[in-house]
Amino acid sequence: MRKKTFAAAALLAAASLTLSACGSGDSGDSPVAVVSEDTSQKAATLLDTPFEKPDLVLTDTQGKKYDFRKETAGRPTLIYFGYTHCPDICPTTMSNIAVAKKQLPKAEQDKLQVVFVTTDPARDTPTELGKWLKGIDPKFVGLTGGFSTVQAGARTLGISIEPTHKDKKTGKTVSVHGTQVIAFSPKTNGGYVLYGEDATVDDYTKDLPKIIKGQNP
Amino acid sequence: MTRLAPTALLITGALALAGCGGSGSSGDDRPELAVSASYMPQPITDEMAAGFFTVANKGDAKDELTSVTSDAADSVTMHETVGQSMREVKALDVPAHGQLVFKSGGNHLMFEKLKRQLKQGATVTVELHFAKSGPIKVEMPVKSATYNPATGH
Repeated sequence: MRKKTFAAAALLAAASLTLSACGSGDSGDSPVAVVSEDTSQKAATLLDTPFEKPDLVLTDTQGKKYDFRKETAGRPTLIYFGYTHCPDICPTTMSNIAVAKKQLPKAEQDKLQVVFVTTDPARDTPTELGKWLKGIDPKFVGLTGGFSTVQAGARTLGISIEPTHKDKKTGKTVSVHGTQVIAFSPKTNGGYVLYGEDATVDDYTKDLPKIIKGQNP
Repeated sequence: MTRLAPTALLITGALALAGCGGSGSSGDDRPELAVSASYMPQPITDEMAAGFFTVANKGDAKDELTSVTSDAADSVTMHETVGQSMREVKALDVPAHGQLVFKSGGNHLMFEKLKRQLKQGATVTVELHFAKSGPIKVEMPVKSATYNPATGH
């Protein structure tokens, strides 16, 4: 509840600034930004029917074959579908997980598998993916390969992606990222928890210790 | 209360005067813009970065953000998020008595080919250009890669 009170105070402050300002500009956060965040809701969505792991055999950042089911069997695993030419959601999602992971004890950090699958394999070569992930967490696994393989794998997790294409109006390249991070249990290998793109560092920090054990966050 | 610290906001003198209605001769039908809450999450590589801010308009007329320039990158473009993809836009409305919000998961600036490494604590100068109002210079602070304006960390 503390947070809510604080948000309300900030809102008031912003409102009074608006009233008193005479062309000098506001210095507070905008009211819209404050009220749009509901901190009381849980970020995690527990699935009644967990997803089976997708049958993804792709190429990792070393250029080696990576069989997702085999490599992550019996390990707590997070998967996300995105692309590196993405300034906003993709790096934020991966950075949030990276920062939360660093707060786990070392042994648990080593157990957790974080897998980033590119939705833009034409641009995200193993080298490009490796360079990008190195800036986030060098232990994260980056996978690339045929788009149809990635798309089919994503689809089994309820994630719909389209191939990178040129926007008809602007001629600019448009890529698509997934909207969810899915956590797989080390006990059942099922994908049992979903996180939306608004999940924060704090959400992951709170939940990862449980996911590592296959418990419900 | 760090979140309420001034977000390195600069406004042109001309706009500041217009906001006060000092001259008063041209009536009320003009936009009065102010920029706040600007930040850039620390970029992962020097290829790409995002930028966020809010433009508030206290005036009786709408304005349009038509372009953005910066000394920190070869190219700065405006994007809106449509479902799971983002679309470059040529201009965005700043409604009268309303605001234009750039925030994670919504509208964002895209900086491409950064000219220098931008680490947390650095500042990027960004100039916003409008259809009616004069340009506004914003000193945009680089925050952590996971910065969340709702919590301020």
